[in-house]
Amino acid sequence: MSLLSVHDLRVEFATPDGIVKAVDGISFDVERGETLAIVGESGSGKSVSNLAYMGLLPKGKTKITGSVTLETDNGPVELIGMEPEDIRKIRGKDIAMIFQDPMSALHPFYSIGDQLVEAHQAHNKVEKSVSQERAIELLTLVGVADAKERLRAYPHQFSGGMRQRVMIAMALMNNPSVLIADEPTTALDVTVQAQILKLIADLQKKFKMAVILITHDLGVVAGAADRVNVMYAGKLVESASVDELYAKPKMPYTVGLLGSVPRMDRPHEDRLTAIPGQPPSLMKLSGGCAFAPRCTRKSEVPGNKCETTSPELIQISTGHYSRCHLYEGKTK
Amino acid sequence: MSGLLAYVSRRLAVTFLILLAVSFAVYLIFAFLPFDPATLTCGKNCNDPGIIEANRIRLGYDKPFYEQYWVFIVGLFAGRNYGEGAAAIHCAAPSFGYSFQQHACVTDLIGEALPVTLALAIGALVLWLILGIGLGVLSARFRGRVLDTASTIFVLIGTSLPTFLTGLMLIIFVVIKWHLLPFPAGGYSSPFEDFPGWLNTMILPWITLAFAYAALYTRFVRSQVIETSTEDYIRTARAKGLSEGLILGKHTLRAALAPIATMAGLDFAGLMGGAILTEAVFNLPGLGRLSLGAVLDYDLPIIVATTLLAAAIVVIMNLVLDLVYAFIDPRVRV
Amino acid sequence: MLKSTKTLKTTLATLAVAALATAGLTGCAAGANVGGTLTYVTFQDAWTHADPQRNYTGRDIAWFGSYMHRTLTAYDRAEGAAGSAVVPDLATDTGTASNDNKTWTFTLRDGVSFDDGTPITCEDIKYGVSRTFATDVITDGPSYAIGMLDIPSAADGSSAYKGPYATEGNDTASFDKAITCSEDNKTITFNLKRSVGDFNYTTTYLSFGPVPKAADDGDQYDLHPVSSGPYKIESYKAKDSMVLVRNENWNKDSDPLRATRANPDKIVVKFGVAEEVRDQLLLTDSDPNTMSLDALLPTNLPTVFDETGNVLPAFEGRALNVYDPYVRFAFVNVKKLNCLPIRQAIYYAKDFNGLITLAGGQAFNGDPADGAIKPLMGLDYKKVTGYEDWTTSPNIEKATALMAQAKTECPDLYARATDKNRGLVYDIADSETNKKSAAIWIDSLAKAGIVIKFNFIEAGSYYSVVMDPTKQSDLSAAGWAPDWANASTVIPELFTTAGGFNLTQNADDPAYAEFEKLSNAALVESDRKKQGEQWAALNQYVMDQMWIIPGTFSKTQEIWGSGLGGVFFWEPQGAPSFGDIYIK
Repeated sequence: MSLLSVHDLRVEFATPDGIVKAVDGISFDVERGETLAIVGESGSGKSVSNLAYMGLLPKGKTKITGSVTLETDNGPVELIGMEPEDIRKIRGKDIAMIFQDPMSALHPFYSIGDQLVEAHQAHNKVEKSVSQERAIELLTLVGVADAKERLRAYPHQFSGGMRQRVMIAMALMNNPSVLIADEPTTALDVTVQAQILKLIADLQKKFKMAVILITHDLGVVAGAADRVNVMYAGKLVESASVDELYAKPKMPYTVGLLGSVPRMDRPHEDRLTAIPGQPPSLMKLSGGCAFAPRCTRKSEVPGNKCETTSPELIQISTGHYSRCHLYEGKTK
Repeated sequence: MSGLLAYVSRRLAVTFLILLAVSFAVYLIFAFLPFDPATLTCGKNCNDPGIIEANRIRLGYDKPFYEQYWVFIVGLFAGRNYGEGAAAIHCAAPSFGYSFQQHACVTDLIGEALPVTLALAIGALVLWLILGIGLGVLSARFRGRVLDTASTIFVLIGTSLPTFLTGLMLIIFVVIKWHLLPFPAGGYSSPFEDFPGWLNTMILPWITLAFAYAALYTRFVRSQVIETSTEDYIRTARAKGLSEGLILGKHTLRAALAPIATMAGLDFAGLMGGAILTEAVFNLPGLGRLSLGAVLDYDLPIIVATTLLAAAIVVIMNLVLDLVYAFIDPRVRV
Repeated sequence: MLKSTKTLKTTLATLAVAALATAGLTGCAAGANVGGTLTYVTFQDAWTHADPQRNYTGRDIAWFGSYMHRTLTAYDRAEGAAGSAVVPDLATDTGTASNDNKTWTFTLRDGVSFDDGTPITCEDIKYGVSRTFATDVITDGPSYAIGMLDIPSAADGSSAYKGPYATEGNDTASFDKAITCSEDNKTITFNLKRSVGDFNYTTTYLSFGPVPKAADDGDQYDLHPVSSGPYKIESYKAKDSMVLVRNENWNKDSDPLRATRANPDKIVVKFGVAEEVRDQLLLTDSDPNTMSLDALLPTNLPTVFDETGNVLPAFEGRALNVYDPYVRFAFVNVKKLNCLPIRQAIYYAKDFNGLITLAGGQAFNGDPADGAIKPLMGLDYKKVTGYEDWTTSPNIEKATALMAQAKTECPDLYARATDKNRGLVYDIADSETNKKSAAIWIDSLAKAGIVIKFNFIEAGSYYSVVMDPTKQSDLSAAGWAPDWANASTVIPELFTTAGGFNLTQNADDPAYAEFEKLSNAALVESDRKKQGEQWAALNQYVMDQMWIIPGTFSKTQEIWGSGLGGVFFWEPQGAPSFGDIYIK
């Protein structure tokens, strides 16, 4: 049994213009100690899928179906359809999250000590001083010097990188088994990015967590992830181990994404080979492959199939899945 | 803390200078208005040159402008005598002048009116903040539900009913028709002398004022809370597994508080100028009625004093707001 | 003066006062209950004045005269014409005149005192009267003492005596000669500069009342006047209340006028009650022992009265709709409007119905006036003749005919009156109602070809502007109430050059010389009945010359709670009989 098992997760938003299928039936498993990267452009559903089973999407006009099971100390738990009070007890304890912009993600009016202690107090009935000790311990662990003194400081008194370290410390206050890092380095300097990614990796080993790394940047993924899920228009379009994916990307979209990864070993001007065109509107999906309008290889598929039939996710090799008509019938 | 003390005293010194400048400007404006202040002292329909000239000398309007201003400033610190002999009038420091139409020193008049307005404004403020923030938060929390709809109706009624109408309805029904409260003995009595009587006098005016403001604040707080709840740090708080109550009461409200405090501070300062309609309906002898009466009667010394007072309140309120801001938001602390 | 008291004498010709009959116990409090608290409510923030030398409106004089301020003589407390009889108050009789009515002597009763028990002496009355002369401190009061007492004038025309506060160059000696006190300090003698046959009416003014010198602090005395009557001030605070309690030092035996009347134990005035609140208090009879000091709001009148102005059954016995002493009219500036047919054309073309409807209707606002003297004046009133074809709706036919006549008689003024760009100008105080009434004037006069324009003057300075002949226009709105029940306070005041309020500028009018002669003759006529006929004839003279455009004989409304008895309309003061009111 996997630590976190997502099966046929669907998220639909009711908007005045109609139903938007933000996440359209995705399934994946995450194991203890594993790092899964979810990659895609904005609007691909990579963030929404995770916010959905965390119960963090606005209620009312959102419809979530499928199944997400989490292995906890008290056995497996189904997260979809859970009572708000029960899922609250999972959030921050079993599954913790860090976000893109650590400035706006930290409350500007409260000291970081307050915010760290609060995270601990939410799940542990202990004296405040105990939570405070824990906060100092974790701050020290993420590399904040003078942790005891810095507890009284406010977010605006930290640099961007330090703030993200504080966020990480906050996420780890309750020893979570899963850490969802949603674009954790996007708002940071390039030099700081590497430090933060290394910190996450180190802590993952120490705490034996599963990490779900959500990013639009395949460059981040390369050194950090074990597996990669590529999402496009609410669907999983390719899934493989990180080495396999980099070595043999199959889906033309993945190929395009890899082309747009900034690489230090290439001349500056070649760094970004953007995929021509825009991601599709999730409201106006045709019956065909969502990527077809931007696909440079659709002519290779006979009978205009890319425009008319939506491809299935098929296994290309062991652990390598792709959603593309090009590889139909070539499975092992 | 000593930093704060130094900051406050520096600000107070600046405030004092601003008020001095304002007083000069007010004096200048009234000196060049096309009214003869001496003529105004003898009231409407009065054109007896004897009275006018006597008052001109008695009040010092015969002296040049700068000398009048100087005497005014000296009077503020040392008190002032008007006229000589048996009919002389003394106004103790701080003297803002003497009103011939009210037969009283302006300082005494303001001294009587200020506590009334203060009591009215503070009571109403407390009431409307409780009501406005409470309802605003609840209707944001239960957006689109019955409670939210009910509070929307309350907001509509509260913002569209003029205060004098609310006040009149309250008096006519609560006091005159239903006899739920005794008819106020008239005027205003100090809470330190007669607390139940004071409550009886103030409760309806508080409700009247608070009703209108609470409606505005409900709407404002609701939108502030809804806006704040989309902030990233609220998502963080939720992701930490905090309870909804804690998120709302601590994280959302604290952030929404800054603009609410600004609005409350300015509204309070505005009210300290006098809530004319409410004071008129409930016969409260506050600053509003003092100023209104003075304007209608061209009672210049009172107009000068109330203008200065209004300026002082706004300037001081700004200082208070800055301090409150520093308390709410650590980023602006010095 | 315009602020004058509202004094009327003798018979009431046309009073439509259904409620009066139910007031019962008129002028006599026999059977009235003693005790209780009588409450007055008013929209005003305070009394205009409480200082006796500064009281000048009938209502204030009636109120303070009833409860606190005694005078040498007073009007009798009776309903109808009987109320206008002068009776002794502090004095033992209504005074003795000698020296061709130039010397008047009054003797004080025994046992009269101020509220601290100090006996009231001649010197106290003399001191009180002296305050009237301090016109720079004691403002707004009547100036009869200055006009009548035999004191020389200074170079600028003002009195050589400047009152008790002035120090330098003050002709105190003349004042001491004008008022003298007897050896025992109980008899006071007034020496006047001219004959005043009805000086004992003048002495009903509170300004002829006593003030103890020790308690006088000038302007501030207004806040705590000393009482000589049955009640004294316990507290008085503007925008709050005034509380009167019994004056323990008041000697009942010295005051037959008030002895059986001072019934309530306590009298409270609540100031600053919002108008709608005040009316609701009274309409719902929320506190039955309450009376309003103000008129009802026009919108609330139909609740109490039917459309003809009669009290509705539900309010029977606690409301009144009566004539007040005022006549409203427009002065004609004869110097500018020197053409009789045009003046008459304006009168005929005026839309009385339109104007009265705007003001609240005839039932509450009053009847069309036919001159400057009101029917309430009894002896002095006679219906004006010669305008039988005047109607309450404009008589355009007649007005047009008069204008045709004017075209040949006075072509210059006719040209101006019909010129769109010039026209005639009407002075009026700036108010919303007056702006609406202006539109009615313009419309109806235009039908007779007359162009009228309006000069709106800020209300506070209205009279000071129009009383300046260099600023006065062709017509000026005004209102007038007699100071007491003799048209000697109307005709000479308004229409002779000696009068204090002549806005007609009629001195150069060919008709003036004859008019002045007749007026002076009437002033010194000692037969009151004959004098009345003379005033009526002079009123007819004024209308023949159309020196005013008549407006309304105006009315007023009163309302009080069901728990009060003894209320009637006290005609000489034009106010309710405050002093007779008791708690049932």
